[in-house]
Amino acid sequence: MTTATATRTGTYHRSYRSDQRLVQSHAARVRLLLALVVLLALPFVLEPFWLTVACQAGIAVIAALGLNILTGFTGQISLATGGFLAVGAYTSALLTQRAGLPVPLSVAAAVLVTAAAGALLSLPALRLRGLYLAIASLAAQEIIIFAVRNWEFVTGGNDAISLPRLELFGFVFRRDFHWYWVILVFAVLAVVTARNLFRTGAGRQLMAVRDQEVAAEAMGVDIARAKVTAFAVSSGYIGLAGALTAHYTGIVTWERFTLEVSVLYLAIIIVGGLGSIAGTVYGAAFMFLLPAVITQTGQRLQSSYPSLIERLPAIQIMIFGLVIVLFLILEPRGLDRIWQRVKGTLGRWPFRY
Amino acid sequence: MTNFIQLTMFGLSNGAILALAALGFVLIFKASGVINFAQGEFLLVGAYVFYAAVVVLGLPWYLGVPAAIAVAVVLGLIVERTVLRPMLGAEPIAIIMATIGLSSVLLGGVQVLFGTAPKARPEVLPSGSLAIGDIQLPWDRVVAVLIAAVALTAFSLFFTRSRHGIAIRAVADDQQAALTVGISVRRVFALSWALAAATAVVGGILLASITGVAPTLAGFGLVVFPVVILGGLDSVPGTIVGGVIIGLLTAYVGGYVGGGLQQVVPYVVLVLILLVRPYGLFGQARIRRV
Amino acid sequence: MRRKPGTLIRTRGVAALAVAALALTACGGGDDTAAGGGGGGEPIKVGVLSDLSGATADVGTPYAEGIRGYADWINSNGGIEGRPLELLANDYGYKVPNAEQLYSQYVSEGVVAVQGWGTGDTEALRQKVTQDELPFMSASYAETLINPEETPYNFVVASTYSDEMRVALKQIAEEVGDARTEVAVFHNDSPFGTAPIEDGAAYIEEQGYDMGYEAYAMPAGATDYAGILSQAKAQGAKYAIVQNVSGPGALLARNIEQQGLDMTVVCLVWCSDQGFITTAGQAAEGTMMVQPWAPPTVDTEGFTEINDYLESTGSSMDEKGLHYSQGWYTMHVMAEGLRKLVEDGEEVTGPALKTALEEMGPVSTGGVSADVEFSDESHRGMSGSGVYKVEGGKMVQVAESVEP
Repeated sequence: MTTATATRTGTYHRSYRSDQRLVQSHAARVRLLLALVVLLALPFVLEPFWLTVACQAGIAVIAALGLNILTGFTGQISLATGGFLAVGAYTSALLTQRAGLPVPLSVAAAVLVTAAAGALLSLPALRLRGLYLAIASLAAQEIIIFAVRNWEFVTGGNDAISLPRLELFGFVFRRDFHWYWVILVFAVLAVVTARNLFRTGAGRQLMAVRDQEVAAEAMGVDIARAKVTAFAVSSGYIGLAGALTAHYTGIVTWERFTLEVSVLYLAIIIVGGLGSIAGTVYGAAFMFLLPAVITQTGQRLQSSYPSLIERLPAIQIMIFGLVIVLFLILEPRGLDRIWQRVKGTLGRWPFRY
Repeated sequence: MTNFIQLTMFGLSNGAILALAALGFVLIFKASGVINFAQGEFLLVGAYVFYAAVVVLGLPWYLGVPAAIAVAVVLGLIVERTVLRPMLGAEPIAIIMATIGLSSVLLGGVQVLFGTAPKARPEVLPSGSLAIGDIQLPWDRVVAVLIAAVALTAFSLFFTRSRHGIAIRAVADDQQAALTVGISVRRVFALSWALAAATAVVGGILLASITGVAPTLAGFGLVVFPVVILGGLDSVPGTIVGGVIIGLLTAYVGGYVGGGLQQVVPYVVLVLILLVRPYGLFGQARIRRV
Repeated sequence: MRRKPGTLIRTRGVAALAVAALALTACGGGDDTAAGGGGGGEPIKVGVLSDLSGATADVGTPYAEGIRGYADWINSNGGIEGRPLELLANDYGYKVPNAEQLYSQYVSEGVVAVQGWGTGDTEALRQKVTQDELPFMSASYAETLINPEETPYNFVVASTYSDEMRVALKQIAEEVGDARTEVAVFHNDSPFGTAPIEDGAAYIEEQGYDMGYEAYAMPAGATDYAGILSQAKAQGAKYAIVQNVSGPGALLARNIEQQGLDMTVVCLVWCSDQGFITTAGQAAEGTMMVQPWAPPTVDTEGFTEINDYLESTGSSMDEKGLHYSQGWYTMHVMAEGLRKLVEDGEEVTGPALKTALEEMGPVSTGGVSADVEFSDESHRGMSGSGVYKVEGGKMVQVAESVEP
């Protein structure tokens, strides 16, 4: 139980049970409940454009969680997110289309295949670190996309794979409204499992690898195994996001999985906060809302500044870059840190510190 | 045989431009330890400024080139001051992302100012071809290789002979020792960014004169990574060799094998080098100390 | 007094969330009219997807301007039987995810039809427009879109890429007569680029031409095409058919000239324009162009209205290029379908427009292209193309309309 004063001086626990809870304070539980209520209410109040944005952001949360597990929690920089999304998407699409597998099975298979691919690709990367690892992942990204575009027999090459609408027990998932629930369920599951992962010993091992690899090894952490696990788990999440993208949009093309996409996901976890699960969610929401807001603003201003619409994508690119640079200079620990500071100030108010 | 020579020509010219762009990258890395993902965009800015000077304003090339270099140098200094200075000592991923963000700002900025449609090519290199027997060597490529060679030699000499060049190498080796000897590390950082911008600009001007001015020029910057890894992140001669090798290899694969394989060859080379000899052909092995 | 723990935060939390939810619902629904006025009737909304900043922006921009110009012009001339045409136009940068976002926005704003642009977005939205029953016209002239059984809501206004390829091959066959020749097809590395290749090979078989036929993908962002050109040279190619936009096409032409290769360049619709000629310079001389849409150098009635309109805005067809009139008349065909509906007093909906387009008979473009006609068995608007040759830096008409 927290102390019952208007100004909280900390979170105190009087039993192991309460210390081990996933959500640790009463206030946090309330906030979470409110957030859940809002999430459940969103599809009923949002306009279709924003609902599409919400669905896209929801899928992005899953992939960003995967990347954060790898980069934020284990310290392995990866620019190959786009490539692994492609692996997940194409696996699921091909299994559904050519092998006739029911969609839930093909999605599960995609997760496993992508995780295996991640583990495999991590083996040569075990020796590399920092910049070299980043560049190696860049190479992996380009090679995967090249393979997708040229392995025509399997992936259809440059052409898009068209998937029929998802149908479960006779119900066709036609509109964003229907998909929102599917995506919400998967996203919530992903967040909870990721959060839990870092309460376990395995998760702590990953963080040890990030913080001080040599010391971790000295303490008995099997570095190679930890890294391979991190790559596999991370790729699994990303594969899930890829498979969901494939069925949600119904179109699988390599254009969705380019280096730009990998950079976007890195931006999401940096803006949200490296090594923070909640931060990942904030980051994904932010990086998807921002371009949508810019587009809408541009459309409204179109009548007064007609030439603006032509420059809009370039402006979006500039703002994307500016956001990253500003966050890095001003608050390198991202939105999560900003929120922690706000909470701290509010909690301590009227005291300053 | 004629095919081989022509492919060699094209490969050399691309390789020379790559080496110029990569040189700037290595320069920044050696001096300040920063990985500059925005190198391709520096190339782009150089090309566009040159285009603006020569095609839009109609200046002759001997005014356009210094103008572009001047703008690039100023840009390099501004970037160093506003973006990199606050990030000194940050983790590698933060610095990488900062330069990635910077690359987006530059790319977006160029597109906002100039639009995205490809522009008229600045006609500064001689057109037509040099005919040696059966072989046609386009003049613009020949001149580009010569100019790049001159620029690369000049920079190499600068590093080994001039005071500032040696200062840069000193800072790259050991910052504290350099400080004690009286070298201004701040000035060295600024200088290295300015020089890197200048080399990228020269590369950009050559590239634009050969292929035209379009936002896609920035994509050239990605191939810089295989070049520097192959040559060695901290070696200037290595960069030149790496650039030439990648340029030639890409041309030969494109000519003899085809099927789009030439696009992925630099990355395959990259992966192989990382597996076999991660410090590159000429790089120095680093021993990691705890 | 003891406050219950967390009350302060809870109250603030609720307040903040309520504000956020309200703000979100207030957002969205941008209304952008490119053409207001024109008759007092209820506006007819059409969604437009344009590439103004992406990979095909050099041809996408004048095309989009043509569409907007037409809407502007028709609204100042009474609209569609008194009802103004309202365009919801946005740039999607040739990126499919943007196209999807914009599409769902257009659907929620009640458009009755969509003007798309590239093969990417057309493909991506194909199923959706069929399920949402919205006629979709685009500048993607892929032959896979003309069969109403497979793609009931897609309409291809001009001759397909495959038709143009057939016309090109036919012209080549005429030029060489009985001799054997080699043809190399250089194409954009995308579905747009590969669309006509198989059909071209099939045509050669059908017609019994004695031609070698190879396709080479032009890598995006390449600084030169030395690699694929040396392979084409090894093939002995005498004709280089280009299925790409004018920028890369011009670079290819210059490379061919620089290497002194004996190849005649044959451009299909997207590089047959003044832009190609300007960028390629001297290398463009002698290029054959297969282009269903007439360039402004051809003196025909269809350009009169456009030129009058452009003059009032301080421009001209010479400045905008043939892709402007291409966009103009593509919008015109759709407007004619809408006009039929309004004249017949029918409600303007997607399915009704589909039927109207199929039943309205041939639509004339005043000689800018062949007449456009759809039916319930074919959504291919026309099949012939004009053939031109580049002489003295201009497109000179060789044949007005050649059927494949």
